[in-house]
Amino acid sequence: MFEQLFLILPMAIVVMGAFVLLLLSKTFSLDKLNLVAVFFLSLSFIIEILRFGTTTVCYSFPEIFGKMYIIDDFSILFDLMFTAGAILTLLINTAYFKSRNYYNGEYFALILFSVFGMMILAHSNELVTAFIALEIASLSVFALVGYHKYNKVSSEAMMKYMILGSMTGAFFILGTAFIYGAVGSTNLEDIAAYVNVPAEKDLVLVLIGGIFIMVTILFKMGAVPFHSWVVDVYQGAPFPVTMFMASTFKIALFAIALRLSLIDFASLNIVWSEILQVITVLTLIGGSFLAITQKSIKRMLAGSSVVHSGYMLIAYSSIGLGSDMAAPAIMFYLISYFLSAAGAFGILSFIATGSKKMMTYEDFKGFSERRPYLSAMMAIFMLSLSGFPSTIGFLGKFYIFTSAIESGQILLAGLGIVTAFISVYYYFKLIAMMYFYPSTDQQKKFPFDFSGLLIGVMAMMVIWGGVGTSLIPFIPGANGLIDIAKQAIDSLQNVL
Amino acid sequence: MTPDHFFLLAILLFSIGLIGIVSRRNLFVVYMSIELMLSSVNLVLAIFSRLHGDMHGSVIALLLIAVIAAEAALFLAMIVHLYRLKRTLDSDAFRLLAQKDSK
Repeated sequence: MFEQLFLILPMAIVVMGAFVLLLLSKTFSLDKLNLVAVFFLSLSFIIEILRFGTTTVCYSFPEIFGKMYIIDDFSILFDLMFTAGAILTLLINTAYFKSRNYYNGEYFALILFSVFGMMILAHSNELVTAFIALEIASLSVFALVGYHKYNKVSSEAMMKYMILGSMTGAFFILGTAFIYGAVGSTNLEDIAAYVNVPAEKDLVLVLIGGIFIMVTILFKMGAVPFHSWVVDVYQGAPFPVTMFMASTFKIALFAIALRLSLIDFASLNIVWSEILQVITVLTLIGGSFLAITQKSIKRMLAGSSVVHSGYMLIAYSSIGLGSDMAAPAIMFYLISYFLSAAGAFGILSFIATGSKKMMTYEDFKGFSERRPYLSAMMAIFMLSLSGFPSTIGFLGKFYIFTSAIESGQILLAGLGIVTAFISVYYYFKLIAMMYFYPSTDQQKKFPFDFSGLLIGVMAMMVIWGGVGTSLIPFIPGANGLIDIAKQAIDSLQNVL
Repeated sequence: MTPDHFFLLAILLFSIGLIGIVSRRNLFVVYMSIELMLSSVNLVLAIFSRLHGDMHGSVIALLLIAVIAAEAALFLAMIVHLYRLKRTLDSDAFRLLAQKDSK
């Protein structure tokens, strides 16, 4: 009994934290609420980090819930990223929400609820659990997108996201219904057993159901035929929420996508590889076009996040073509994208604290004279996002393209490299703006603060993930991270 | 009455919902179309549950009703809020995020 409770403790702590925050929201100040939220999230983070690599695969409360809720290294690694993303979002934006009048206690509760939903999503071993977890996470994110309620842009972004998001949610549950109709169960292992046995069976219903589920996942990732919301919603949402969505919520979708393609539909992957290849090509080209045409930095980063989904989809379609490297490559790329995107959006919202206008490229002219350290960190994140060697982004792209070549998708790898070159244009434009133009304002003294320090630590991690080996104990460098990714994927595949 | 009739009904309802989202402008009608899609999925689940002769599908349908209710709460709150901002529910009135700064 208590062992079982201990297994779900990290999730329980997060959801209890959310309720505690709701109770305290009228009595505590924003600063204290922030600390309470970070406390609960860090508690969960610490428990997960102690557990990573030590537990065998097991189910929580098997006699009550069956095999709905799985605990393995794969889901624990995702939990670590979700909690870390939420902690960073809360800590980096301490100055931001104090400078705006529309924040109140429920903001923190909503972030914790959404982290809870994502954690359940990573742990779910069953399609209905996955659907409910996805809805918990998305409904919280919908509310967060419209959080600036006196701002028409924010409300409009919420409307767009919510209509399209609920519509694709219906597709997910429709796919689940079809699979239930064919298999008679929604448990992933039962589905895998049904699909893998080569009897005289009609797999059409399972295939259609799987495609509907894929539509939802690709929509939330922002792959190209379903990308129309990405740029608008990222622009309309408040900066902290954009950071949370881009760095954390995007990763959550890959948790369920990887679990589905590695366990559930493993033998049907060949059918999907072709669909996925087309979507990958569209995503890479369309995302690059979206990112090039933007003037605002926030919209540019939103467009480029579509391109990053495209890179991950390259490896995702390689899974079905028999590449062993592909799944760990996605995990590594997720870690690298998480660090770089959280850092870049963190700097944006850190700068936006002082000004109320939209950030365009022009605003960054001469930024290196005004804030030399911050612009150096921004340059590091931009280099990492574009995949420059000696940063973690380069290694992520390296593994992705290796897996594509390994599975024989040489054209796709070539297209990926071309879009990486295109991405140099819009990322390096920002670096050029910061360093090669004189500043228009005079230099001011900025006080040292904690958010800046955190961003600095993340910049160090980006560099360290690119060059470091095991020189510093306890902080995994490049090869440490790929080992962690492989370990997580192994725990996933040992189930069957 | 065969199961095919019920499936046909569910498909019709789902398609009406999908077409409603695409073609209607009033946000209330869009919201009702989404509800229609989700309810037709409920119908599909109930039919499959009956065909299989077990309760799994019906239980999923019950859980889905709870999810639909949660979505309805947020959706209706959003519609009221949007009406307060703009005094209209025509979705064409909300075009602040149209790509004007990208040119």
